[in-house]
Amino acid sequence: MNEWEGFGADAHRYLDGEPFEELSGAELAAADRLAAEARDWAGRLPRLDPALDEAVMAAVRERAPARRRRGLGWLVAPQTVRFRPIWVPVLAAAAALVLWLAPRGRRAEVVLTPVRAVSDTVFVRFELAAPLARTVSVAGSFNGWQVGALTMIRDARGVWTATAPLPVGEHRYEFVIDGTRWVPDPTAHAEVDDGFGGRNSVIVVGPKGLVRS
Amino acid sequence: MQPSDGTVVHRVLSGDVEQYRILVERYRAEFGRYAVASVGDLDAAQDAMQEAFIRAFDALATCRDPDRFGAWFFRILTNQCRNVLARRRDTVPLEEVDPPGGARADEGLERGELGAALEAAMARLTPEQREAFVMKHVDGRSYEEMAELLGVGVDALKMRVHRARDALRSLMGALR
Repeated sequence: MNEWEGFGADAHRYLDGEPFEELSGAELAAADRLAAEARDWAGRLPRLDPALDEAVMAAVRERAPARRRRGLGWLVAPQTVRFRPIWVPVLAAAAALVLWLAPRGRRAEVVLTPVRAVSDTVFVRFELAAPLARTVSVAGSFNGWQVGALTMIRDARGVWTATAPLPVGEHRYEFVIDGTRWVPDPTAHAEVDDGFGGRNSVIVVGPKGLVRS
Repeated sequence: MQPSDGTVVHRVLSGDVEQYRILVERYRAEFGRYAVASVGDLDAAQDAMQEAFIRAFDALATCRDPDRFGAWFFRILTNQCRNVLARRRDTVPLEEVDPPGGARADEGLERGELGAALEAAMARLTPEQREAFVMKHVDGRSYEEMAELLGVGVDALKMRVHRARDALRSLMGALR
């Protein structure tokens, strides 16, 4: 093996701690030396300053909202029920049926997510729990990746939601927190590289509703 | 006995923010060397680690498996380290690295100098190769641990490590 080329397959197996067949003395020495240098370098790396812990805690304390609830306040506090986007068409249909059966004139307190499923567009509800965020929006391939084009609304528990009509097809998106921080959807089933070191979430919309998120 | 990650996450989400310090201490120690080795600079590593902890706190409610907070946090940290490397703009893709010529890098070098040569060579790796090599040979993790932390298959990780070793051997020129 020429020294300017890489290691042979057996040298890699040796370095991986796997059985190998044949290894020349030179290859063995080179492999041992690389591993030893890496260990030596690791031993000389500076350690992170434990003062970092306090810096993090100071930042965290500033960002922490008043999460404590007193007494029975939770009884009257707004509550959010989490559900995945795939259930939106089903829940909306159920809610519509309830409304249709209910006596007229008593629907003022019911707020429906405007959901419909037609052949080319499906309304999809996005949701992100981010209690410390000041603003959250959804930027994706369906709105030109414009920050703020689809702003989300925060509830009392810090869960942000937004509903948007998406054409049938595959779409990519991320949440944008405080206008600058891009984060993928933690509940998405698929992600792809965004080309900038991060990940885009993928949602697939079919003619009869959400196929996959 | 230290509480589990899941217990700590639950306490923090319930309003006891000070409990977060347990996770900070735990994973600053666990992943600190990885951060320093990945970005190659103590100050940048501290910034990446601090930002990762703050981002993790912001998104804590979205951590789907709090008992595996460490793996979830590690991916946030990995992204932060990659951002640091990307911002530097001096990372040269492996394909563009010129084969070394002239004198071999280890001729006449003392051990510490060769360590510096290793560090310089690592700066030429792609971010993915660098993080895989660091996890394998600096942190001493198994491929299974790496797969768990990175969410990448063992075969793909082996490929990254192998290419990193080949590149390092070539760049350093002397690891025969």
